[in-house]
This record gives sequence, C-alpha cells and structure tokens, in this order.
Amino acid sequence: MDILIYGIINSFSLALMAIGFTLVYGISRLPNFAHGALYVITGFLVWSLIHLLKLNYVISILLALVIMGLIGAAIYRFILIRVRGMATSEIIATYALGLAILEFLRWGGFKGMTYTLPVFIEGSVNIVGIPVDFQRIIVIAVGIVVVSFMWIFTHFNKTGLALRGMAQDEHAAMMLGIDSDWMAVIAMAMGSILAGIAAITLLPLGNIVVEAGYNVLILSIAVCIVGGLGSWVGAILAAFMIGFLQIITVAYIQSHFHMVVALLAIIVTLILRPSGLFGRQKELEERV
Amino acid sequence: MLEIKNLMVFYENAVAINNINMTCQGGKVTGIFGANSAGKSTLMYTISGIILDIKKKEEMKGGERITVLGQMTFEGMDITSMKPSERAKKGIILCPERRRIFAESSTLENLKIGGYLATKTQAKKTLDYVFHIFPALNNLKGREGGFLSGGEQQMLAIGRALMAQPKLLLLDEPLLGLSPLMEAMLARAVRDINRQTGITILISEQYARPILPIVDYGYILENGGAVLEGNSQELMDNPDVKSAYFGL
Repeated sequence: MDILIYGIINSFSLALMAIGFTLVYGISRLPNFAHGALYVITGFLVWSLIHLLKLNYVISILLALVIMGLIGAAIYRFILIRVRGMATSEIIATYALGLAILEFLRWGGFKGMTYTLPVFIEGSVNIVGIPVDFQRIIVIAVGIVVVSFMWIFTHFNKTGLALRGMAQDEHAAMMLGIDSDWMAVIAMAMGSILAGIAAITLLPLGNIVVEAGYNVLILSIAVCIVGGLGSWVGAILAAFMIGFLQIITVAYIQSHFHMVVALLAIIVTLILRPSGLFGRQKELEERV
Repeated sequence: MLEIKNLMVFYENAVAINNINMTCQGGKVTGIFGANSAGKSTLMYTISGIILDIKKKEEMKGGERITVLGQMTFEGMDITSMKPSERAKKGIILCPERRRIFAESSTLENLKIGGYLATKTQAKKTLDYVFHIFPALNNLKGREGGFLSGGEQQMLAIGRALMAQPKLLLLDEPLLGLSPLMEAMLARAVRDINRQTGITILISEQYARPILPIVDYGYILENGGAVLEGNSQELMDNPDVKSAYFGL
C-alpha cells in the first residue's frame, strides 16, 4: 500500500520536473540542458527573497516565478537564438550554461544543509494507516493543476494552439503568421516557470543543494526519452513508470539504486524502442 | 498587388528560378503552370518568405547555399527580405504543397491555429465561411488531421489558410494526388472564394486542365524561367500549351 501511495507521489514529482523540459523540446526542438540549473536557481531565489529581502513567502514565490520566466526568455533571446538549428551546439550551449549556473552557485557559497524552504502547510495525515505529510499531497495537487492547466492552455488558448502548431510543423505554422522565435521565447519562458513550480513544490521536502540540479536534469531526460521526446502524454506516462519503478526498487532492493533506475530506463528504451513510448505518432505523420 | 522583378533563386550553383518577372493583379486569380522541377514550389516559398528560413537553417547546418536575388513588392512595399511571419501579417498566406496539415490536431484545431492572426470576430466569420464552402468538413470537426483523406486534407489546408485572413492567397499544387471529381470540386471552390471574398489568388499546378479555365492570367514556367504568359483564353489557344498540357 505504501508503494502505491509513495509511487504516485514520486511519479507526480517526476512529471513536474520533466514537463518543462518536454514543453521546450516539443515546441522548439531545443534540448534545454540548463533545466536542472533553472530548478535550483528558483530554490535559492525564493530563499534569498525570503531571508535577504524579508518578503512574504507567497510573494517571494510569485516574484521568483516571474523572474524565472524572464530568465528563460533571456536565455533564448541572447544565447540560444545564435545556435538554433545546430543540434550539438544547442546541447553544448545549454549544458554549459547549466554547469556555469550551478558551479557559480556552489562558488557563491550556496551549499550545505543551511538552505531550506518552509513547507506550505505543516503536519501530516494518515491515509489507510500510512502517514503522508501535507507537502506531499500538495505535490500531487500541483501536478494535477499544472497538467490540466497545460492541457487547457494548449487546446483552447490562441497562443497555446499556435505552440502546438509550431511543435508539429514549423514551416506550416510560419506560413500562417506564427513567428518561430517568438514561440521559442514563450516556450523557454514557460519551461523555466514550470521548472520553478517544480522546485517550489518539491524543495520544501528537503534541502536546497546544487547537486539536485544534476539529478533533476537526468530524471527529466529519462522521463522524456522513455515517453518519446516532445510527447506530453508519453512524458506523463513515463513519469508514472519510472516513478513506480524507483519506489519498488527502494522498497525491495536498496534505496541508493533509485537513480540507477532512471539511467537504466534510458538505456533500455534506446535499445528496445528508440522513439520512446509515444514516438509512434511521428511514424503516423510519415505515413500520411 | 504583388510585383516580382528579376527574381533569381539559386541552390548552390543550380538555378531554380531564372529571372522571373510577374505581377498578380488585385482581386484576380493568377496561375503558374509547369512540370515537376520547373520552380513552382520554390517560387511559392520565395514569395511567402519560407525560403529565407530554409536558407538560415541550411547555413546553420553548413548545408546547401541558397541565394535569392531580385525584388518583390507587395502593395507598394518591398518585402524581399521580410520574415515569413511578417509577410503573413501583411496578408500573404501560403497553402503549401502536400497540404502539411497538423496531423495530431483535430480539424477544428487546425482551423483555429490558422486563425492565429485573426481577431475573434474575423475568426468566427471565416470559420462559418469555411464550413459553408467546404460542407464536408462539418462532420469531421473532431477528427485528427492525420486521419483525413487527401481531398479532405486539401479542403482543410485551404480553410486553414483562409482563417489567417489572406489578402493574397498562395495555393501550391492544391490538386496534387486527387481524384478528377475532387479536382473539379476544388477548382470550383477556388473560383468561388475569389469571387465571394475578393481575395487575390496565385495558384500553381502542373495539371493545367481543371485550373486554366478559372484563372484570369497565367504564366508557364520551364526550367525556372517564365516562357509564356497570357490570359486564360490566350493560353488555352496556344498550340504549345495545347500539346504540352492538354495532349491535343
């Protein structure tokens, strides 16, 4: 029973981490390897706003998300726009940026156990005899809200629909007056905000450490590859697969193997089904 | 409305468009006819500006070198180096070869994405118009674009382009791979769109028979150059056109 409950929680955490990465890749074909760094920055940003500027928690969170959006947009506007279309350079540029951000934070003294964010609501509840704290329930709630918001946004909002058009056929979207660079700016801004939302909901469960940046990046990539790059449904499904596999590994094998699960998932997927769970939709496109 | 002067396009050293001069009169249907590789699609991409994006991508990859020379003016404005999305905002909308429907989105969503540049009232009005002129789409609103037949996709592609509020609609081989029945139906629809909305249309096709009667003025392309031009009747009466395009 606790496998079920913690599996669901873990799956939602993974989905939250990965959704920003999938969004950016799905729309602009930009692999944002700075995703993990953006996640960690948000944590330190909120911490700084609370402790250095003495702002209210809620205001700090909102402010931090706005700043993340601007950072994401700036990354595209000033860096990625110059290497767009060169896949290797995109990876190098974003990974270098992520590395620079994370190691700069470490150099700046943001390390150790001192940096924590308060949980939203203290306390815990018993679900069929298993104690689950409120923060973990909030993770599930935020996950559901974010996923449904994204679904509504991309199905009913003009910009959201344009993003989907751009994701499916860039040139066809351009012919209809949708600007590729502007869509990429929006995608990067939203991707960064989503990384921020994930950080804000997940970080109160532990300390803010620089290393989390690398783990989040690996987990996001694992989820995206297993799900099929750029596919949202696939990403959510993959989040659940890897999420449960991790919890089962922790329960029956040993807890320090849980990161191995993600890496193995990447390898197995690439061997058995390189296009991922939902790569099939792309095959369909080829056929018609 | 659209004026093209001394347009030349090169892929590496191969010439794709060779010194073309042409005009599209406002409110009229202009046709471009030519065999495969005559340069029809390149011309369409050049007018809509997509060629500039292809060029940029090729440069980034270190691929093919594309050169565009010459001048294009649209409503008196020089558009030669304008971004494709800017040209679309000015009213030049391309309905591309092979339709390029958003395969994972439903018919209705395809049309909504097409309405990106339209205001709410424009979008609503055009949506009604699209379903009026292509009633077959009415029953397919929820179906994914990838599961439509070729003819249905073509209707959707034209509808999607109409949603973008074009002043100059570029139709690149709209009859490609369709049945004679569907060809006649689409040719009628194109004529109706032009007559009912006054949208200027530039249509390219390698199969001239169904399209030639509906054009006001036409150009014949061969190896990238315009070898012949004239109004519909002149082209139909020309012995070379007759033998090459009608098999008479």
